[in-house]
Amino acid sequence: MKKLPLLCVFILASWPLICFGGARHFTFLYEAPTSAPGSVELENTITWSRTTEDAHLDQVVFREELEIGITDHFQIGLYPLDWNYRGGSDGADGFNYDGGAVELIYNLTNPIVDPIGISLYEEIQAGRRHFESESKIIAQKNFGPLILDYNATLEAEWEEKGLNERNGELQQAIGASYEIVPRLSVGLELLHEFVFPEWKDHERIRNLFVGPNVAVRHGSWFVTVTALAQATNTADEPDVQVRTIFGIGF
Amino acid sequence: MNNMSILLTLICLLVSCETANYVPPVTPQMASTTRQHHVDLATLREGRTLLVHRCIECHTLPPLWRYSAEDWPEIVNSMSHRASLKPAEREAIIAYILAVRSMR
Repeated sequence: MKKLPLLCVFILASWPLICFGGARHFTFLYEAPTSAPGSVELENTITWSRTTEDAHLDQVVFREELEIGITDHFQIGLYPLDWNYRGGSDGADGFNYDGGAVELIYNLTNPIVDPIGISLYEEIQAGRRHFESESKIIAQKNFGPLILDYNATLEAEWEEKGLNERNGELQQAIGASYEIVPRLSVGLELLHEFVFPEWKDHERIRNLFVGPNVAVRHGSWFVTVTALAQATNTADEPDVQVRTIFGIGF
Repeated sequence: MNNMSILLTLICLLVSCETANYVPPVTPQMASTTRQHHVDLATLREGRTLLVHRCIECHTLPPLWRYSAEDWPEIVNSMSHRASLKPAEREAIIAYILAVRSMR
């Protein structure tokens, strides 16, 4: 209890030092530039998805991230609250706490002055009967007002009792965003997934999602929204998913 | 043939965008144009590095000749808090932009 006044003093003392991180042009892709050193930002990600093929299911996934710039090339993201709401015909409705996560992003090259901007990403997520590692290579090139972005992702997942169920997924995502004015960008995102249940490819599960995005930023906040529709015909995957990221300096 | 025309058009568009994106490396000539403001090569190099790192966290880089030399300091100042720029870093970015503009 005695620590609370100390914490308040620390926050007030460091207030002038707290600045904001960057705005996002995409929601299903990460960008190569990392946050400025000393910057702190709160990002809320909400993803709604609807699956209708076998059973009707609406799911909303919430992620709260505290993004901290450490150096000009390195940032950390803390996700203390990952939770979701499920509602559907299987009767398993309600809220679930998924766990928390830590992400690290290291920037190697710049998308303006280097031939291509590259960053490396690692995220570790842990929850009840769930452990996940997500590794990415982020490649980006800026052509004036146009940003081209590519992410290659490898996900490894351990689930259920004793973490005995092991699954893998390979993803590649491509995005383009055009800045109409400094505060507004529009673009497209494409997500291509290769799912490996038990790290096997017997079922040959391939999913393709594609859709538009829009990003608006002003002062200390930004909002980016992407709507993706499934272009393949995989029964267990969402027909449509909409992701919104709202970021604000506090 | 149609596909080839589309591809060529796309390449031309990207090349023209890349030209608009050009952030030239610092040269001794640049420093000489800004000598009356006491700006050295190291400051200009720092300004360029900061410009291409901090500013693109939120938006793409506009052509440096889009705004006037009088407007640039105010433009950079208005976003310096969001980009976590210290006063000296802000001045370095402004010095670099003005040096590039003076080379045209």
